[in-house]
Formats: sequence, C-alpha cells, structure tokens
Amino acid sequence: MTVLTRRSGQVAAGPRPPARRRRSGERAWAFAFASPYLLHLVALAAWPLLASLFFSMTEYDLMSPPRFVGFGNFTRLFGDPVFWRTLGNTAYFAVLFVPAQTALALALAVALNQRLRGMALFRAAYFVPVVSSWVVVAYVADAVFNPQTGIANQVLGLLGLPAENWLQDPALVIPTLAAVAVWKGVGYMAVLFLAGLQAIPEERYEAAKIDGASAWNRFRYITLPGISGTTFLVLVLTSIETLQSFEQVFVMTDGGPHGASELTVLYLYRQGFQFFQMGYASAVAWVLFVLVLALTLVQFRLQRRWVHYA
Amino acid sequence: MRKTVSYVLVLAGAAVMLLPFVAALGNSLKSFAQYIQVPPAWLPDPVQWDNYAEVWRRTPFGLYLVNSLVIAVLAVAGNVLTSAMVGHSLARMRLPGKQALLTMALGTMMLPTVITIVPNFLLFRSLGWLDSMLPLIVPYWLATPIGIFLMRQTFLGIPKDFEEAAGLDGANPWQVFWRIHLPLAKPALATLAVFTFTTSWKAVLEPTIYLTSPENYTLPVGVLSLKGQFVGNDQLVTAAAMMSLLPMLIVFVLAQRYFVRGTMSAGLKG
Repeated sequence: MTVLTRRSGQVAAGPRPPARRRRSGERAWAFAFASPYLLHLVALAAWPLLASLFFSMTEYDLMSPPRFVGFGNFTRLFGDPVFWRTLGNTAYFAVLFVPAQTALALALAVALNQRLRGMALFRAAYFVPVVSSWVVVAYVADAVFNPQTGIANQVLGLLGLPAENWLQDPALVIPTLAAVAVWKGVGYMAVLFLAGLQAIPEERYEAAKIDGASAWNRFRYITLPGISGTTFLVLVLTSIETLQSFEQVFVMTDGGPHGASELTVLYLYRQGFQFFQMGYASAVAWVLFVLVLALTLVQFRLQRRWVHYA
Repeated sequence: MRKTVSYVLVLAGAAVMLLPFVAALGNSLKSFAQYIQVPPAWLPDPVQWDNYAEVWRRTPFGLYLVNSLVIAVLAVAGNVLTSAMVGHSLARMRLPGKQALLTMALGTMMLPTVITIVPNFLLFRSLGWLDSMLPLIVPYWLATPIGIFLMRQTFLGIPKDFEEAAGLDGANPWQVFWRIHLPLAKPALATLAVFTFTTSWKAVLEPTIYLTSPENYTLPVGVLSLKGQFVGNDQLVTAAAMMSLLPMLIVFVLAQRYFVRGTMSAGLKG
C-alpha cells in the first residue's frame, strides 16, 4: 500500500495537467485495492494450472528433483485398471447423486415457498447437515447405517425386511454414500431453488388461475420454465463438485470395501500424499480437470435447448 | 389443502434431517456396553455424560478447538477485508482491464480444486509453511472469487452521492472505502463472514494435507485421529464429533439469516 501511495505522489510532482494527474493517482489506488486478487491470480490460479501441467509430465517424489518423462504418466494412467475403476465409481456416484438431490431440492423449495408458519425453523433443520463437516456427518451416518447398531436396519427389521451391510457392502456402498450426500446437501440446493422461485412474478400464477389452469399445469408451465436458469446452475455446480468429491469417502469409507467406493480424487490423494508420486497425481488431476471442463461445456451447450431466461 | 400437504412433507423431511443427529447424540451418551448392544438401545440409560469429560481428559480437544477457531477467525478477517477491497475496485474505481479481471474471477470460481491440490502443496512446501496454519489462512487474504462478486454487487448498489460528498472533503480513496462504503455494506460483509467461517470450519482436505503434528490439528482432523486412539469406542469419538459441531451451530443460530442470504446470492450470481 505505502509503495503505491508514494508512487502516486511522484506522479503528482511531475509537470502534468491536473486531470491526468488525478486519473493516474486514481489508477494507482485502484491497483492497490485490486492487488490481493492480482496476487491470487498469479499464485492460486496461474501457478497451479501451469505447474500441474509441468509436473504431470515428470516423475517427482519430493526427494530428488523432478525428472521429465513426457506423456509417460498418462500412458501409465490409461493402462491402470484401478484408475478406470475409480472413474467408474465416480460416474456411478454422480449419476445417483446429482438427479436425486436436484429433484428433492426442487420439491422441498416448492413446499418451503408456500409461506408456511414456522418456516424459519424448518429451513434451519435442513441447514444443520449443510454446515456440518464430513467428520461430524460420518458419525451421524454411523448412527443410521451401522449394520449392528444403526437405525436403518432396525427400521428394515420392523418392516420384516432383511438387514443390510450398507457401507460395508460393495454393492450398496455407493448408493448409501449418495443417499447421505443428498441428505447433507439438499438444504443448500433448496435455498438456491427458493431464490429462483421467488423471482417468478406472482401475476403469472394469478393469470393462470383465472384461466383455470390446474396446480400441476401451473407447476409445469410457469414454475419449471421460470426456474430453468437456477436448475441449470445447480446442475453445473453439483456435477463439478461431485466429480471432485473426496472428503466424504475419505472420512466415511476410505475407499472400501475392497475399493468399491474409491473415487478418483481419493486415488489422486493416495498417489500424491501417501506414495509421494506427485507427477502421477498431477496427471490424474489433469485428466479429471479435462473431464470437468468437458462436462461443463456440454451442459452449457445443452442449456440452449431447455433453459428459458425471462 | 395444498398447504397441509406441504406442511406434512416439510415436517417429515425436517424429521429425516434431524433424527440422525438425535441418534448420534444418543450414541455419544451411551456406555461402551450399551453402544455395542444388539439389538441397539434407542436411548442411553443411564446417560453417560462422562463420555464428554473423558474426551477432554484423554485428548488435546481444547487445542484442536483453539486451532480451528484461530484459523477460522483469521480466514474470515482476511477474506472479508481483501474481497471487499477488490470488489470495491471493480465496482467503484477506475481500474484498467476491469472487464478482463471480472472474467478471470469467474474463471477461477469454476477452476476445479482438484487441479490446485498438488501445486499448492508444493508452493507452500517451498515457502516452508507445511505443518503450520499459514496454508489454511493466507489464501483467504488473497480474496476469493465468490467474495469479490458478492462485494462488487453490493458496492454497485450504493448511490454515488455518498462518495462525492466525501470526496469534496479531500478524503483519499481508502478513507472513502473504509469510512463510507464499508459501513454501508455490513449485511454483505456479515454474509461473507459466515460463509467463510463455515468453509474454514468444515475443511477436511486441506488440514489433512498440510498439518502433520497432532498439536496443530484442527477439529475435523483431530476428531478423525481419535478413531485410532479410542479403538472401537466410537461412542467417545461421536461425543467429540458432536462437540466439534457446537461452535458452528452457535454461529449458525446467531446468524441464520446471513446463511440463507449467502446461499441465495451465490445462486443469483450465475
């Protein structure tokens, strides 16, 4: 800050017309105000992008200097069945999680939008899992899905159904994780939808009522198009986040049983921070990055077909 | 009629949200024998309050708590201050390349964290910051895209008259920002503060990567490490997890409206 102030002082001393002098002083101030983000762009955006691209083409174990190996890491990666399995697991998780959460959040938002009494209290209930860390959620989920002591099997027992092993069952682990993730995230997404719903003008509903439109038709022809922009945003954000899901599996299953819930970022974490293969981990990061980017672009392209901006 | 249906649905949903917490709270108050009992006991009997005391006695829980608090408070201070500064420069100042900077901010918001994990670790390692709080605090002092957008939006909405009145008195841009604009932006600042506090408090990935000594652990990492210490006695770890949630819950109850506002503004941004 002081450096820039001094520089603007120097400019002021020069033989310039006053208007111009004032303008360059203003500029210096503006740069000073923007400087944290300029540093951010260099250190936390440009550096990671370039560095991870560089390291993805090296072998680097933190002990000896990085050794250039070209596309070696990528060849190894594409031939690694474990990597493909983690991608499959991630896709399976996303396919279960994203539509379920989006649909439930929308339904919840429509219900919450009825101006119910005690609404603030309800909203709070849906937000408690949102503000909880995954470590807390892991123990809360254990109270439900622990095969011996959890509520879920108790309930199944009352219904006369056989008990399940939930997170310890290779076939059930990802659906169970997805259910817990929906439970944790639905409140946040519902509030996003609520903002979208409240932006729809009330008159449209009034007019439709006068024309005798049913509740379902009002939802179908006013609400859904009205929030298509929000829905698009929710879908883009959740898919980006889901492809990078890490903390939940790291805390709840550590990828088990037998790798059935090993997601790609957990694989990256292990390669980088347990086996110290920073080059290989960077290659995993780049493949995932490209996938996230491709998915986002596809969603932006498809957006034209179904998103209506009023 | 429709309201009744909505009521029932919302109420049932709220029960689904909260019951697991009640069950976990119950677990945290059971003795070991009760915790592993099959079929499980629905309610702890007798209530073992001592589980909570035992966590304090046998673990550095207080240290984890202080670490989490210090990191969260410094992260909040940094993000609120710097995001407000950058947002101000984008909304109210003659900044060359303003549009480019806005576009880049949108780009970095979309930048997947997965790409930054390894390079940031290497960066902080070369700075000698590993096993310290710095990697968990300093990034917040470089402003965050979401904070910048929120603050820019807020400052754009403040009428120019305030500024002009102050400019006549010979105030410099910092004084205009600090004395006039910041106080008018209090709700947005509060929103950004609770948002940052929550993000910092919940973080698992970054503290796991950067902190190696137990005395530096934050609550999530610390509680996770208790699993090894209390082998099998998950009722104690559950007690620790419940306690780690408490400060967050207090912030949430006190600042609930800012949470909702923050979520909504995050949504309106796109």
